[in-house]
Amino acid sequence: MTLTRTLPMDPYLVANADSVLAGARQGDAAALEKLFRAFESPVYTLARRICRTAEDAEDVLQETFFEVCRSIGRYRGEGSLWGWIRSIAASKALMRLRRNKYRDTDELDDAMAPSRREDTALRMDLEAALERLGETSRAVVWLHDVEGYTHEEIAVMMGRTVSFSKSQLARAHVRLRRWLGEEVHA
Amino acid sequence: MSHLSMEALLALREPGVEPGDVAAREHVDGCPACRAELERLHQRAARLRALPALRPSRDLWPAVRVRQRLESRRWQQRWTGVAGFLAAASVALALFWGDVARPEPADASAEIAAARERSQVLESALEEYNPELRVIDGRTARVSQALEDRIAELDQQLEAAQLRQVQRMEEEQQEARMLQLWRERVGLLNALVDVHVTRASNVGL
Repeated sequence: MTLTRTLPMDPYLVANADSVLAGARQGDAAALEKLFRAFESPVYTLARRICRTAEDAEDVLQETFFEVCRSIGRYRGEGSLWGWIRSIAASKALMRLRRNKYRDTDELDDAMAPSRREDTALRMDLEAALERLGETSRAVVWLHDVEGYTHEEIAVMMGRTVSFSKSQLARAHVRLRRWLGEEVHA
Repeated sequence: MSHLSMEALLALREPGVEPGDVAAREHVDGCPACRAELERLHQRAARLRALPALRPSRDLWPAVRVRQRLESRRWQQRWTGVAGFLAAASVALALFWGDVARPEPADASAEIAAARERSQVLESALEEYNPELRVIDGRTARVSQALEDRIAELDQQLEAAQLRQVQRMEEEQQEARMLQLWRERVGLLNALVDVHVTRASNVGL
């Protein structure tokens, strides 16, 4: 079973979920703000881990909640609210990746500066290593290992194949292992 | 001894059993290096999940709210446009129907008198309903405002036409023109009554 990040829920939202949702569906500004406050950090975290810059992540956060405000009436309570909001956020973040067409910097680094391979013995911080991954690999790692999406779901979201998602994840872990100094195989 | 690839190790974390998983599992059981690698894989994923949550550097709710308000205003304007178009269309239809279905009056003056009377009836109905004291939504307010503005314009034209009639200038054309204006006024008042009274009854206001 794939584990996912535990999401600490806003106690107010937990206690008043039904009334907040009902208000949000009516377009009540206070209720919509409650939703925003409850989920802004997890949405921003997801966006920031996938997007290259803080500005892009902030844009994704805004676009996500704009969409939440617009579509909350369509959320019928099938599945968790966070699951619904997260799917919007992931889709917006991936859309931004496609739009910005970031270069995969780790590939570039490895291809153009082979000497960097020797540096990998230097241990990197996990966050720095994650940041160094190429955009696509990092998105797959985050969506699969942290958010708990399956390869099938990731393939649909990215418009790619299941094999693509699997190979991106494997490639990312090989790199992370190297950069973190965790290689054990001979 | 060859070790499992990263892809094969990752597959062991997935739910369900894929072809090759059983053999891979057997290999891991007998290979300390692959077992350690799989364990590190689990630990790495756990460390990723334990990375701290992040927060934006500024409050973005006001920006979301402004964008949402703008969008809903645009949406309302689109609907006002549609409602206005429908109201105008109903007036045009009423006028057209009036022209087509009604036999040409033998006497235009009689027809004008009838339209004037109909106008008064509709105005009384509106007065009785007293829309000024009612709570109405923005869309209805805009549509009724547009209809009232058009009625005011018509009243000015009617006044001017009446003045010219008094001066006995082109009497026949003036009468035809007045008849047309009165018909339009009746159509607009019908639409206004429809906007205020009929729709309000439908939504239980």
